[in-house]
Amino acid sequence: MSLDAFPWLIGLSTALFMLGAMGVLIRRNPLVVFMSIELMLNAVNLAFVTFGRYLNSQEGQVFAFMVVVVAASEVVVGLALITTVFRTGRDMDVDDLSEMRE
Amino acid sequence: MNVLAGIVGVLALISAIGVVSFRSTIYCALSLVTNMVFLAVLFLLLNAQFLAAVQIIIYAGAVMVLFVFIIALLSPGSEDTPRLDLRFMVGLVAVFYVTLQIFFLVGNGITYDKSATACATQQQAQQKQCAADPLHGSQTGQASNGQSLTYYPDDVNAVGNVQVVGGQLFTTFLLPFEITSLLLFVAAIGAVYLTRHHVTGSRRT
Repeated sequence: MSLDAFPWLIGLSTALFMLGAMGVLIRRNPLVVFMSIELMLNAVNLAFVTFGRYLNSQEGQVFAFMVVVVAASEVVVGLALITTVFRTGRDMDVDDLSEMRE
Repeated sequence: MNVLAGIVGVLALISAIGVVSFRSTIYCALSLVTNMVFLAVLFLLLNAQFLAAVQIIIYAGAVMVLFVFIIALLSPGSEDTPRLDLRFMVGLVAVFYVTLQIFFLVGNGITYDKSATACATQQQAQQKQCAADPLHGSQTGQASNGQSLTYYPDDVNAVGNVQVVGGQLFTTFLLPFEITSLLLFVAAIGAVYLTRHHVTGSRRT
């Protein structure tokens, strides 16, 4: 890919990140909120790899690998929390969660 | 190459919009899988072969299988309506403001010193030549050396992307890599702790 694609890729990464942020804000289903967080992490990965490519460096890929690991562990803990909280058949709505408020 | 990147980028954007806007949870998961596959194609175009494979295996494989399992287990029946209150409006305005700011910065502001990054090698004689085309690595004849941490794509591809990334992981980034294993260990323990059966029945979560 030529050097001209660099701002487009960073723009795509920004757009994906902001779509993920909007999903976190809009959606009520906690599973979809988690998927939006995954979308944001993927957008950050794309930015890392793009910068690493255009700076002739490998650190971007290494750090994106770390981000993948962090995302995997975050999904494991988050889905465990979701199954624990919503196992009793209540509505899947993040606005109803108030156990940790007091 | 640029045409392919453009097509894949547009498709990734469409599938990301699908993640946010689909009403059904399983459709969201499916479009997230497509988004990850398109991003893996972009990683391939950006000379990150190892990360593309990791993206497909871990994200589109393991993580999304976990998501689909949880969707099947919990079966979220009620379709959620998007919330449209004041908090959401403020958040939406903030999101669009930040997006436009970053687009503006990408279009105008973000630059980097091509000559400084491309010529951080010991080949002083060919410095001007590699400044003319910083992305083409083989013309400098400079192997990937650990001192300057400059890896030209052709050199990396000659050695192998997996070898270079693995070498970085086990030399320069050894401590973060080991801390990563600790993080995975803690996450596994946390998942087992959170989902264990309460035998005594005295404690409800």
